Amino acid sequence: MKDLRPWTHAALYGALWGALEATAGTALHLGRVPFRGEIMGLIGLVCLVCLRRLQPRVGVVLVAGVTAIFLKIFTHGGLYPGPLVGIAIQTLAVEFGFIVARGPVAAALGGIIALGTNPVQRVITAWIVSGTEAATAVLRAVGELGGVEARWVLAGFVGLAASIGALGGVWAWRLSGRVVRRLGGGP
Amino acid sequence: MNPALALILAVAIGASFSSRVEVVAASAVVACGVAWIADRGAFRRVLRAGLVLGAVFAAAAATAAVAWASGLDRGLVIGGTVLLRLVVLGTAAAVVARSVDAEKILSVTSRLGMERLGLVFSLAVNALPHLSETTSTVWAAHRVRSGGRWAALRRFPALAEVLLAHTGRVADQAAAAAALRGHRALGRIATPLVTRVRTVVVTGPTGSGKTPLVASVVEELGKRGVPVAGFLQPAILEDGKKLGFRIQNVTTDEVVELARRVAPGDGKFGMSFAFFDEGFDLGRRALRDIAPGSVLVIDELGPVELRGGGHWPAVERALKSFDICGLVVVVRRTLVPVLVEALDAADVVVVDLEEVDGDAVTKVVEAVSGCQVKQS
Repeated sequence: MKDLRPWTHAALYGALWGALEATAGTALHLGRVPFRGEIMGLIGLVCLVCLRRLQPRVGVVLVAGVTAIFLKIFTHGGLYPGPLVGIAIQTLAVEFGFIVARGPVAAALGGIIALGTNPVQRVITAWIVSGTEAATAVLRAVGELGGVEARWVLAGFVGLAASIGALGGVWAWRLSGRVVRRLGGGP
Repeated sequence: MNPALALILAVAIGASFSSRVEVVAASAVVACGVAWIADRGAFRRVLRAGLVLGAVFAAAAATAAVAWASGLDRGLVIGGTVLLRLVVLGTAAAVVARSVDAEKILSVTSRLGMERLGLVFSLAVNALPHLSETTSTVWAAHRVRSGGRWAALRRFPALAEVLLAHTGRVADQAAAAAALRGHRALGRIATPLVTRVRTVVVTGPTGSGKTPLVASVVEELGKRGVPVAGFLQPAILEDGKKLGFRIQNVTTDEVVELARRVAPGDGKFGMSFAFFDEGFDLGRRALRDIAPGSVLVIDELGPVELRGGGHWPAVERALKSFDICGLVVVVRRTLVPVLVEALDAADVVVVDLEEVDGDAVTKVVEAVSGCQVKQS
């Protein structure tokens, strides 16, 4: 028979992620908390890695991502493209990580791509919401404050976010291992 | 689609991709006007203090950044554009949130031939209140156990572990409930079995003694002269750690290794165990040539079998081909409903080792011994 659990696990972990995005994500966003994208990215990473470890099937992470996007649409931030694009990229990143690698390496790879693309995605979102001029101006302003070019500022953010993603992926893998043991994994 | 919703969405998309302030301003007027006429409640939702403050803050930040780079005039134009764009997006989001519900999504996904995805969405929406209540309970318990809010935040991984494990349990229960309701859209049983014999499902937590119990049942049935067939899967233990499983044919007492623990995800079926073909061969032999009137003992059926792999084909063949008298199956608690659904068993006794009153061995033996052969 076909097991129903990949579908229900994807629904529940997607719901958990979507609910956290809609509550904690909105709170962090309105509170202008620094690194809020990275914090929410790590939360999403933990949900997805745990799901993939409990249900090691190709595509299960994508279903959870679609579910989280679906729930996010029902909140006020639903049409604000940033989090939706972020969820989609993160989902694809984790799925890609687990297709090309295994174990903690897969989780770390997913984390690197998911969080590393965060600053780039934020620039694109800023471009959509504020227009090219505002996005460029923000990058220039940050660059001039530090005395470096805008592209190096962006590269620095990408590197930092990717490092956080790698560490977060490995941590998420270990955490999900404890979750699997708690749920009594075995043949 | 609702024409007002379609118009607002079109306007929101236009405002998002246009850099001209006149276009964005016109979009804001149209979006607010349509929302005011079609859905006044949605319009009022946009005017919440937090959202207005957030939009003003974002506009002010954009104004400051552009003013610093290109002058105050340009900064004010860009800041105004950002504010108007956020008004359009906020209005559109509010109208979408009030116009689209789970039923509509289900109907749309169904029309698109994606019924499973619609059911997943519906399950997610239905699970939200439960997840929210659980999160709040888990947080309260964690805070008390940690001795304060900050100490609890420092022990965040423990909190996350409990919450994620609980979500997994809810997902298991949801799968079981869906299976019991016969939710064929989520997962279909390829060849439903019709098991008419008395089925005893032995379950309980890990380490509760399910395999020793079944071994005692086999011994007791043997003493009573009831023929028994099937297999046991005793764990391979070393220093109290489970290293793998052996498989033992209860008729011939032949034993081989079935599975051994490997690095997580490295095993067959994506599990933490590597399986050996010899073990499955023994399982197949144990379920072949069963004497009529035998009690079939299967220790145990796990997720692999309930996905149609492992021992499942041999079990399916045995149940269809032989006149067995009773069936004793070991399964973990979360899989009990899925197993009952897979067997389509009408006469089931569940023996939970943590909840059973009296001698569990006697209970199982009495349930299956002296039964009549009902399946042909």
